[in-house]
Amino acid sequence: MVPSEIETLGDESDHRFANLRGVRWRLNLGVLPFHSSSSIDDLRKSTAESRRRYAALRRRLLIDPHLSKHVRNSPDLSIDNPLSQNPDSTWSRFFRNAELEKTLDQDLSRLYPEHWTYFQAPGCQGMLRRILLLWCLKHPEYGYRQGMHELLAPLLYVLHVDVDRLSEVRKSYEDHFTDRFDGLSFEERDVTYNFDFKKFLEDFTDDEIGGIQGSSKKIKSLDELDPEIQSIVRLSDAYGAEGELGIVLSEKFMEHDAYCMFDALMNGAHGCVAMAGFFAYSPATGSHTGLPPVLEACTAFYHLLSFVDSSLHSHLVELGVEPQYFGLRWLRVLFGREFLLQDLLIVWDEIFSADNTTRTDEDNNTNQSYKIFDSPRGALISGMAVSMILCLRSSLLATENAASCLQRLLNFPEKIDVRKIIEKAKSLQTLALDDDVRSSALSINDGFDQSISPAVPARTNSFPSGSTSPKSPLIIAPQSYWEEKWRVLHQAAEEEKQSPSVQKKKPWFRVKRLFRTESEPTHNAKSSNGKSEVKVSSVARNLLEDFNRQLVAEPEEANRIDVVNIEDSSIRETEEMNTDFETAGEESIAVEENSSDVSSDPNSPLRDSNYIENDSDSSNESDLFPNETVTDQETRVVDSPLSISSQPSMEFPVTQSKDQETDVVDSPLPVSSEPSIEFPVTQSHEEEDSADKSVAIIKERSKVLPGKFQWFWKFGRNLAAEETRSNSGESNKSNLVCSSESPSLPQASSSSSKGDTDQKVMNTLKNLGNSMLEHIQVIESVFQQERGQVQAGLIENLSKTNLVEKGQITAMTALKELRKISNLLLEM
Amino acid sequence: MVLVLALGDLHVPHRAADLPPKFKSMLVPGKIQHIICTGNLCIKEIHDYLKTICPDLHIVRGEFDEDARYPENKTLTIGQFKLGLCHGHQVIPWGDLDSLAMLQRQLGVDILVTGHTHQFTAYKHEGGVVINPGSATGAYSSINQDVNPSFVLMDIDGFRAVVYVYELIDGEVKVDKIEFKKPPTSNSAP
Repeated sequence: MVPSEIETLGDESDHRFANLRGVRWRLNLGVLPFHSSSSIDDLRKSTAESRRRYAALRRRLLIDPHLSKHVRNSPDLSIDNPLSQNPDSTWSRFFRNAELEKTLDQDLSRLYPEHWTYFQAPGCQGMLRRILLLWCLKHPEYGYRQGMHELLAPLLYVLHVDVDRLSEVRKSYEDHFTDRFDGLSFEERDVTYNFDFKKFLEDFTDDEIGGIQGSSKKIKSLDELDPEIQSIVRLSDAYGAEGELGIVLSEKFMEHDAYCMFDALMNGAHGCVAMAGFFAYSPATGSHTGLPPVLEACTAFYHLLSFVDSSLHSHLVELGVEPQYFGLRWLRVLFGREFLLQDLLIVWDEIFSADNTTRTDEDNNTNQSYKIFDSPRGALISGMAVSMILCLRSSLLATENAASCLQRLLNFPEKIDVRKIIEKAKSLQTLALDDDVRSSALSINDGFDQSISPAVPARTNSFPSGSTSPKSPLIIAPQSYWEEKWRVLHQAAEEEKQSPSVQKKKPWFRVKRLFRTESEPTHNAKSSNGKSEVKVSSVARNLLEDFNRQLVAEPEEANRIDVVNIEDSSIRETEEMNTDFETAGEESIAVEENSSDVSSDPNSPLRDSNYIENDSDSSNESDLFPNETVTDQETRVVDSPLSISSQPSMEFPVTQSKDQETDVVDSPLPVSSEPSIEFPVTQSHEEEDSADKSVAIIKERSKVLPGKFQWFWKFGRNLAAEETRSNSGESNKSNLVCSSESPSLPQASSSSSKGDTDQKVMNTLKNLGNSMLEHIQVIESVFQQERGQVQAGLIENLSKTNLVEKGQITAMTALKELRKISNLLLEM
Repeated sequence: MVLVLALGDLHVPHRAADLPPKFKSMLVPGKIQHIICTGNLCIKEIHDYLKTICPDLHIVRGEFDEDARYPENKTLTIGQFKLGLCHGHQVIPWGDLDSLAMLQRQLGVDILVTGHTHQFTAYKHEGGVVINPGSATGAYSSINQDVNPSFVLMDIDGFRAVVYVYELIDGEVKVDKIEFKKPPTSNSAP
């Protein structure tokens, strides 16, 4: 049928039997004639016919050996005795049926325990058992498979609901259901039967003439009713077409009707999707994939998934989650196990209303696609499956483990909006029916059927990327877990390269990881060396100092410049001391500038090794290392304290960010916290780089630093709380600066005291790192400044322009310095 | 639809080696719900074999049984029928219908199953049925040398019992059927 026709018919049937699911489903499944022209009478006739068929079947196949009609005409007792081995004897058939019934009972006793009162009632169980038994006897090629009972149960339920509805209607509209035998109503008769012949005749003639009137009266009153009620009445009229057998909503014939519906569902009613096929183990005839139909359907919806969401699809494929693990259950029971009964009825409404006729295409090549896509119903089923997978998308992508993926897929959440899933499924259905999807399935089939000619239709290429991924469910072995992880992380690193400021989440994540692993080195450090303790705290303080500097620098632009200048000078000082240091710092800067972080994965194993070696390193610190190895060890040593340092740094900005969130005040302070957040982030970038040899080296040496840094930290805290912009800060800052100078001096002094080449190198690295950090701060402070201007508007216009200029200048100088350092490092 | 197997007087290993193979092929586990045995198995192995056919096994003591713990008489109810079981060597004259009827009244059963004569008989008389399944192995008895192996299968379905007799005559299994209906009276035979 043409889709437009189908829709109008669907509408009609919906209109007529909106609340009668049983009737609607029977229409959709093909049990009752679907044409719009079919009247109630036609419906009744076909109902009666199907019931007759079932009754005959039952009489034939349900064996009671006691009944003489089962015994053959010449009863040969040697065959027909209970112990007979003869397979044809009635008793053998009886025993075979008994075996089958036993299997059925195993399943039926566990059917729908949550609707126990209905489904476990012996009457219902008996009906289900008989229906399934007869169907299996009629179709010995399929036999009974677990799952068939779950397809049947909702059908019976739906009929039961209809009958309940009927009894409701009966109660409320008793008039129309009264048994007007020959148009006479018996209630009006006297209890004592006074047969008044004349009256009788009168009534009779009345009826003949007025009988039409009477019936027209009836009909008129019927017409006044809701069309739905009307149809119910007419459907259940005992004297309509086919009499009692034709009562469409009948309790007596529920078994018959359920059987017919089940049969139609399983056979597909000469359509495309035959549920029975899903229970078969061998490939269907004419299948192009050579797979059993259910496996084919599974690959089909995976194929559809690959079009819709290729990342999820590839994720599942790489984890090795084959579609049939969950798809088998989904398809065989038509999602019966995934939804609650009421939701399932809604889903089945949609599935059954989709037409099941196989589409014929002009192009012969296209029938090489999946069979399930050949009908709207099949496409809707695949669409349903895909939309369910998409519903679980986030939780599936989060797992890295095939078992937990499967767990999520197999335990579909109950509290779910079925309508949404259905809508999504419908959109996917149109996609599935799209020719391009179907014909691109050819690429898969090539793998299976070599005989297919390479004459692929040219119009496939609307989804070129899709062509590679569909192969994966079946052919490509999943890559190893670590490879994939590395790749993912590498990609993440690449992304970060491009937009470091955007990717705040990931760096935090990475920092967190550092955080976690840091406990080790802290232990190591503490256990091994008191010095390392100093290291830790000193590093922490240093970073805090940097942060404070930012805070400090921000409110006072003049001060900032001073700070910057002073910083520069301090840098220069240090630079004078050790050129090597510059190179070291430069390297790290280069790394940081390019933000070419080698993916964290190599770093993590490195780090691990770092931590392991940290012990030995820290213990052997006093001993000497040849120059070549120095840097390595330094890096190792560096990494650990650095990572440790990131811990407090992370904490601090975190608290700041919290303040930021809570403070609605538009102050430069929150703004500063932002770049400060970035700052430790970049710090962590540096840390991750194995070539980064900067700050920590310094820290390990300087014992003087901790105290100063502590002071800085406290100061910074105060600043944050007060949001001072006062000039008093200026003096403080100068102090700060001086003290920052002094740390660098003791650094230098300490380095000279040790006086070895390795120490020199370390110092240079130290200093380089320091300078680098300072440069970064400068730049950031400039940006802050500008931002602060914009947001807070606290600065006067004049000074603004001055500031801007000065800020730019300072930024430029800082950048130049950074570049120098990076070059040096690179050379190193 | 309860299938009850009645057999006895196997006399294994003294007088016969085993059940005839044709009988053995028919007795598959799973079809039969009860086995009632008139006795004289004689050994435990036969007891175990019968247990494999059906776990619900009722045996009474024959004079040659090696297990002395079997009872002399037994009664049980299947469907609407009361069944009585006795070996029969206690009832003198052996195989006499009136004496057996006396035993039946004494036990208060509808169907009495006895053995010892190694001869299949089935009598219907007022009130009940007396069945002798014969010897399942065809073992000789003190009164009869030439014995055909035989046993009885009862199909009890509510008030109706169909008795199938399986006899091995000249190497062929012959089956016969007797139907018996119990009148559905509220007061059963006293």
